Amino acid sequence: MRWQYRAAAFVCVAAVFAALPAFRPPAFVESFLYLVFFWVALATSWNVLSGYSGYFSFGHGAFYGTGTYATAVLATRYEIPFVWTLLAAGLMAALLGVVIGAVVFRVRRLRGELFALLTLAVTYVVATIVLNTRIDGGPGVFLSGVSPPKLYPNAGSTIYVFGVGIAFASLATAWAVQYSRLGRGLFAIHDDEDVAEVLGVPTFRFKLAALALSSFLAGVAGGIHALFVTYVTVSETFAVTVPVFVILMSVLGGARHWLGPAIGAAFITALSYAFVSGESAVASRALIGLILILVILFLPHGVMGFAASRWRLFRQRPPESDRVAATPQERPAAPGRAAGAVLLSCDNVRLGFRGVQALAGVSLEVREGEILGLVGPNGSGKSTLVNAISGYYRPDFGRILFAGEDLVKKDAHRIARLGVARTYQIPRPFLRLSILENVALAATFGAAALDRKAAHREAGHWLRFVGLAERSPALPSELNLHQRKFLELARALACRPRLVLLDEVLSGLTPAEITSAVALVREIRRRGTTIVFIEHNMRAVLELVDSLVVLNYGEVIAQGLPREVVRQQDVVTAYLGAAHA
Amino acid sequence: MLEARALNVAYGDAPALWEVSVSVGKGELVSVVGPNGAGKTTLVNAIARLLPIRGGSLWLDGAEVTHTFARDMCRRGVAIIPEGRKLFAGMTVEENLEMGCYRAGARRFRDKTLGRVYGLFPILRERRRQAAGTLSGGQQQMVAIGRALMARPSLLLIDEPSLGLSPIIVEEVFNVISAVHAEGVSVLLIEQNAAMALALAERAYVMEGGRIVSEGRPADLLAQPHIREAYLGLDAGSLQRPG
Amino acid sequence: MPSATLLGQSLLSGIFIGGLYGLLGLGLSLSWGYLRLINLAHFALAFLGAYLTYQLAGVAGMHILLAVLIIVPAFFVLGVAMQWLFTRFSVGEFASLLVSFGMTVIIESAIQWLWTADMRKLQLEQGTVSLQVGTLFVPVTEALMFAVAAALSVATWAWLRFTYVGKAMRASAENPEIAAAFGVDHRRLALLLSGVAAAYAGVAGTFVAVIYTLSPAQIFAWMGVVFAVVILGGLGNPLGVLVAGLVIGVSESMTMAVIAPTWAPLVSFTLLILVLVLRPDRI
Repeated sequence: MRWQYRAAAFVCVAAVFAALPAFRPPAFVESFLYLVFFWVALATSWNVLSGYSGYFSFGHGAFYGTGTYATAVLATRYEIPFVWTLLAAGLMAALLGVVIGAVVFRVRRLRGELFALLTLAVTYVVATIVLNTRIDGGPGVFLSGVSPPKLYPNAGSTIYVFGVGIAFASLATAWAVQYSRLGRGLFAIHDDEDVAEVLGVPTFRFKLAALALSSFLAGVAGGIHALFVTYVTVSETFAVTVPVFVILMSVLGGARHWLGPAIGAAFITALSYAFVSGESAVASRALIGLILILVILFLPHGVMGFAASRWRLFRQRPPESDRVAATPQERPAAPGRAAGAVLLSCDNVRLGFRGVQALAGVSLEVREGEILGLVGPNGSGKSTLVNAISGYYRPDFGRILFAGEDLVKKDAHRIARLGVARTYQIPRPFLRLSILENVALAATFGAAALDRKAAHREAGHWLRFVGLAERSPALPSELNLHQRKFLELARALACRPRLVLLDEVLSGLTPAEITSAVALVREIRRRGTTIVFIEHNMRAVLELVDSLVVLNYGEVIAQGLPREVVRQQDVVTAYLGAAHA
Repeated sequence: MLEARALNVAYGDAPALWEVSVSVGKGELVSVVGPNGAGKTTLVNAIARLLPIRGGSLWLDGAEVTHTFARDMCRRGVAIIPEGRKLFAGMTVEENLEMGCYRAGARRFRDKTLGRVYGLFPILRERRRQAAGTLSGGQQQMVAIGRALMARPSLLLIDEPSLGLSPIIVEEVFNVISAVHAEGVSVLLIEQNAAMALALAERAYVMEGGRIVSEGRPADLLAQPHIREAYLGLDAGSLQRPG
Repeated sequence: MPSATLLGQSLLSGIFIGGLYGLLGLGLSLSWGYLRLINLAHFALAFLGAYLTYQLAGVAGMHILLAVLIIVPAFFVLGVAMQWLFTRFSVGEFASLLVSFGMTVIIESAIQWLWTADMRKLQLEQGTVSLQVGTLFVPVTEALMFAVAAALSVATWAWLRFTYVGKAMRASAENPEIAAAFGVDHRRLALLLSGVAAAYAGVAGTFVAVIYTLSPAQIFAWMGVVFAVVILGGLGNPLGVLVAGLVIGVSESMTMAVIAPTWAPLVSFTLLILVLVLRPDRI
């Protein structure tokens, strides 16, 4: 269905719900539906950051609470019209979110549990501040005097309509994000943030953007809810209910889909409502706890996730049709032997970890259009060098010049944009994206920076190149090692890099597979990409490379023509070992 | 004493060993050499039962151990000195050594064996209360060897002992291995440093690409081109290869 | 500025509550540090222990020590059962957070169903005895609790440090494969540790019952602070948990005395945030 039709349907549904009070339903229907929409808004807004990117926040209560108190205080003490307080509520919550994000997302490799606890702690801090300052001070805030604009004669119905509004605004946001570049970046971050960064996704910016959106929506929902409850206290507002329920609802409904949290919200709210009186309230809480456990254990991707996997099986799409589309621009094929200008040069690069000097002053040059082999015994620093060039590690000393720019101080995603790509020795595909999406992501965020349609075409092209085109809709877990290595290759190439670093592409392959891989590497060079080829398989290396660099103990011990280098005594010793008397 | 028959081992769906057969006789020192990525460590881990064996069988002292748990291999007299030492870095030197004799059969002899280990490596006695992770590479290797000796094994599996060590230390380490072997312990030595490994061994295997490509007495192996080919991809006899 | 006596009394009460924080955090720290499981249900267990103590020693009139003798082994078994469940379903570190939260909710509901949301207080004749030391009053039960907390921390530390099983636990946490190669059975150790952690929760619970008034909502109230204590003390570090408990307990009570009671939570959480942001490798 074209997105315009979907959008129209969306608006119609919203309108229907908004018009409901005109039909004079019984009071409890409005209340109940309001609560459903309230939770839809909260859960969906939470999901935009946490479900999509995997950074589970336990602090949604802080944003919601900020919004609640913003409205409560501004409307009562400063008599600002309700609607404006909502804007303020959203902005203040968003500001809080951005401040937290700016500090916390800069901490490298902040793991999931840490982020969860940090955000929980923030909630308690905000609650304490609110309780102890003039904002609340203790007794709570009464909003009885505040009246919303008269959309309906009945204040309750008006609040209901605001609820509908924020719910659908949240859903629209989640929907828009899911299918946007931001969303695709967030999903990549979810699966493997380091790889996403290396492919060109600006991870810090994207996480911050998602957090800002998420907290804004939560703040507005909080502001509306202040008017609904009319009496706001710290203990109720900042209770652990909000953070926990939104997690449960999103996980139950499916955290990877914009509609998932809404499904979960509707279900859980209905369940709580059904048990609203006395003893049954306790039973309903126990039931909710049990549901949480069962969902985590048996349905970890939620209802929508389950539905999506069934749908995928049902509808295995045929590969992208072979249009006579523009093949990606081939750079003029470089002459057979390396004769181009220097593309990459490492100048006395040093890198140490915890007392081990992994790179002890590495200097080498890679010329445009050549295949440079990088070899050395185990632990000699080959992978470390690749990590340093691609931006995952920052060297302690030295320069890495690529097309005139020093890469040493740049973020990995900027290095990717400049045209450097790499593969991993053990393939690291995005496990929850299809093969096509894996490659398309690289085309979107890499040096090529293509839009969605063009990225898909590009992806299709590279998948055909490596021979995986028929498996486009499959998930990486369905591929064997050989295919996953080729997927890795296709993904690296879809960035349209000037330089690609291949890290032990051949390891684990059978001799026949090695032959086809070597042919592919040759073809890649023929199309104009410069290659640094890290390998242990010396036979393949000697067949393929124009120039050979040997590392040992973090230093370059030889560089030059392969046949000559391999015969040098110190190289032989490094590999075979010296025989001592 | 140890016999591996046609082992097939894989990591997930990536096969790593094809039909590998090796054997170690009682009191023998056998080396397995080959370039990086040949599957040597995979072989040792499979024998120590740290990896599942998909095909073939493993026999220890005449009993089949193909599906035995790793923790039971220790009881049967097998001790491992893993690649990269893999010490318990947060624990002291002495605690690491004590973990070696965790199994009931060895615990009784703790003091005696510990004395022996400190005799072999006096520097460890000095540093016995130091955290193992703060030692130098060579000293860590000594701890790893000591830990395995504490288990009073009849078969030692030694994986790449020279990795990351300077040549002088490597020589010391190999001297210790030789001394231990002289006391009657059977040894399976995995090494990238073919020269040193072959100097020590009574019999050796050459591995490449997950398979055994050659076996025999060290002197014979050194005379053949196999080893050089396996490591450097070069036919020792030819100097020109078609471009 | 409050008087010296008030400050002294606050310091004392800070030390005692610090001990309780340490005791509550001990089990959590052990399972998080050695089993890589974040067991939120630990809190629910502690409160279940508290309510059971109330029931056995208060309502049923049993001697308090007898109640403890029943509760602690029963909780050990519960802990083993929980660990068995976690292993059976291969629950990872993050999932354990959510699953144990579900368990907490279930246990809390069960508590509320059995004992209602009304406040419950265990009345013991010896419960309110205080010794007078100078101008300060030292409540005996709280002092005893602190002593027990310290003793258990030290005992756990000693167990980990000196016994073979303790060393095996530490080795297995660092490198389970190699530990297995030397004969360590990780599964059995995990069951043992989980049982011990749960037993500790039970002990904490009995003290909570004697000292405080119980209500089901309190389960959640303690979570934040105890987490802060566990992280500040270092995962799996029994002495660290006690020290962190003391630091937080004392700084909270001093804040309460000098500034205002309601500012107290700010202290622990600000500390926690700082540690998490500046030293994330603590976890």
